[in-house]
Amino acid sequence: MQTHNQTGGDQDAAKRAGRLALWTLAWVASLALARFGPSLLWDYQPVASWVAVAINLALGIGWIVAHARYLREIDELQRKIMQDAMAITLGVGWVVGFAYVVADGAELIARDISIGALPVLMAVVYMIATVVGQLRYR
Amino acid sequence: MKNRLKDLRTERNWTQADLAQHVSVSRQTINAIEKGKFDPSLPLAFRLSRLFDLTIEEIFLDGE
Repeated sequence: MQTHNQTGGDQDAAKRAGRLALWTLAWVASLALARFGPSLLWDYQPVASWVAVAINLALGIGWIVAHARYLREIDELQRKIMQDAMAITLGVGWVVGFAYVVADGAELIARDISIGALPVLMAVVYMIATVVGQLRYR
Repeated sequence: MKNRLKDLRTERNWTQADLAQHVSVSRQTINAIEKGKFDPSLPLAFRLSRLFDLTIEEIFLDGE
């Protein structure tokens, strides 16, 4: 059960958010390394690329665990806001993703869209849903 | 869910921040509960019940 007073509670919350932000940054940095390293740093050497992908996966697992722990520790209203935002994000990701697959299969889309657009869309939806949640419970 | 939290709090001259501190949640959570926008978890309802020395049913009013 979390403790929360105006000073200690806020400091704890800031520490928890900071820890999650560090995991997020580490995962994003490893993703960039795995994505751009082969062409910019090690000229597509397979061993180096596998190591970069393995590091990205390991940090990704750490990030998921850190996120789950963060959700358990935060204030219960904040947890609800985050869970609502995640539900909306997952729904949008599925609906838009499958709509694209269906439209692409029917040859309705003239040009290919990078798969990288989906996580970017989901990140934007998540941020918007979080802000809306904060405003709703203000 | 309707509740008597605001009345119970103001009877004691507590701010939302004071009450939040007593039950280990954020002031935003207390505000959302008082406005009926957010239903507390069972552990939080029990903490409020112990704090005000009332049963949960005396604090939270079943709307049905």
